[in-house]
Amino acid sequence: MTNPVSADRPAATSDRPGRRPRPGFGRRDSIVGWLLIAPALVYFVAFLLYPAVAALYYSFTDWNLRSSPSWVGLANYTDLLFDDVKFPHFWKSVQVSLLYTVVAVPLTLVAALGQALLINAIRRGSNLFRLLLFLPVVTAEAAVGAIWRWLYDPQYGLINIILGWFGVPPQNWLNNPDLVIPALAFISAWQCGISMIIYLAGLKGIPLSLREAAIIDGAGPVQRFRKVVMPMLRPTTFYLLVTGVIAALQVFGLVYVIFSAANKSVTGGPEQAGLTYVLHLYLFAFRYDAMGAACAMSFILLVFIMIITALQFKFVKQEAA
Amino acid sequence: MRNVRLAPIYIALILLAAISVVPFIWMLSTSFKHGHDVYTKVPSLLPLDRKTGEWSPTLENYEYVFDLRGLGTAFLNSVWVCLILIPAKLLIDALAAYAFARIPFPGRDKLFVLMLGGMMVPTITLLVPRVFVTQELGLFDSQWGLIVPNIASVLDIFLLRQFFLSLPGDLEEAARIDGAGRIQIFWRIIVPLSKPVLSVVTITSFIFHWNDLVWPLVVLNDPEKYTLPLALQQLATAEAGRSYYIMAGAAVAVVPVIAVLLVFQRRILQGIAFSGLKS
Repeated sequence: MTNPVSADRPAATSDRPGRRPRPGFGRRDSIVGWLLIAPALVYFVAFLLYPAVAALYYSFTDWNLRSSPSWVGLANYTDLLFDDVKFPHFWKSVQVSLLYTVVAVPLTLVAALGQALLINAIRRGSNLFRLLLFLPVVTAEAAVGAIWRWLYDPQYGLINIILGWFGVPPQNWLNNPDLVIPALAFISAWQCGISMIIYLAGLKGIPLSLREAAIIDGAGPVQRFRKVVMPMLRPTTFYLLVTGVIAALQVFGLVYVIFSAANKSVTGGPEQAGLTYVLHLYLFAFRYDAMGAACAMSFILLVFIMIITALQFKFVKQEAA
Repeated sequence: MRNVRLAPIYIALILLAAISVVPFIWMLSTSFKHGHDVYTKVPSLLPLDRKTGEWSPTLENYEYVFDLRGLGTAFLNSVWVCLILIPAKLLIDALAAYAFARIPFPGRDKLFVLMLGGMMVPTITLLVPRVFVTQELGLFDSQWGLIVPNIASVLDIFLLRQFFLSLPGDLEEAARIDGAGRIQIFWRIIVPLSKPVLSVVTITSFIFHWNDLVWPLVVLNDPEKYTLPLALQQLATAEAGRSYYIMAGAAVAVVPVIAVLLVFQRRILQGIAFSGLKS
């Protein structure tokens, strides 16, 4: 990757009289530059920078959208963490999101790697398979939720019917607290197409000479995979792991669709088994009108994501050393 | 010999492709079935009559969700929002990326790093204050409230800038000596050379905003203004248990995006690999 802030060609202005001035980087450039950036900059300040600062401020206040915020210090944070009368499901939602992440991310990565290895092994038809396996990715969350509710239908859903052919008794996937997370994780693995494409790019990047050398040394397919392919794919896996964890911790739209369709009012599924952290956050912000608490939750999430990402980087550095 | 070795690989791929595609076929077939043909013990991937087994598709589910469940309006709303938002966003992003890549001015690189840093903040953290800003601007519960708060994208600016940096500078240099201004250079040289990356950004933006549920969910109240994902979510809640209506609604949301994917598959898949590896 090129350095994101690599410098341009050095500025050279010459105003020697009698010569046509070389096209230079002067005042005019400054004006044009700022003008071109201005719309993006306004957006950045209004919808990124200011909201980030405001979210931090509001997290220390008691606030709904109608009243003006009143300062309460750390009360939102301490209540969320310790007051299980005011926020009875906070820790439950943390647990749900962590469990979902721990189940869904590895499952998705394994599915993606498996698909990429298979596609990489063939010539004819590889574009077609790549396309078909990518279809679920471009599908709207609302549609994914609707389709999978129908597939998971306990009585007439395709999943139970197909499992029935193999003698598996019908399951009430989305109403059994123990099955909610596996059911959601399977949808996540179904949508592994982006990771698959990135793995495929990683596989193409492995020099052919390395594989050939391994074959000459008499390494079988399993050994080649473990000793050549996996180490070469480590940066890709790490990237997908970090982004996958960050995305999984924020899963919201899908569970919102799935569990609002079930109960008309969103509660997060049977025994809150599908009450992910961000669904919980959404409910506080937009149903219970507790914006301050919701902002505090969003900052706890931000800090948590930063810690997890830092830990993952540290872990990989240690592995490399 | 080679074919024998490859056979298991193809079988595995066909199975995986079936898992990925059958849900869509199931969606389509359910959406074309009469209500009384949907709930059968033996699943049928084709819209057949449950008693006679004859071919009997219907469009009544589509008519119902379009006319009585507001999906027609929602479809037009989605089209309208994308028609305004995507070109505006592309222009703003490309101009900013061009300046970041090519026009040196004091403070430019610091600003760019600051923007990249801002991209690291999870969107969920920004959700509540963004709604507040939208409300303060008087855009709450309006389609401009879907457009203005999404009018630029730091990620797209980053991708476009990286591409512009990779373009050779000679042509620009020559144009400048001929007296062309920055804007002229942008339109006459940069844009024509950047068609591949511009189309990737356009297509991925379209897919993202066409599919987006969360932002319309928090900004819109009036059902007349709903975009497709939101209308579909409402449909799925209101008609829970009538999967033929819900699947017709889902098909309306899904089919345009799949059409775009089929037409632009090469660009999209290359773009994913590119942007995935860069970021």
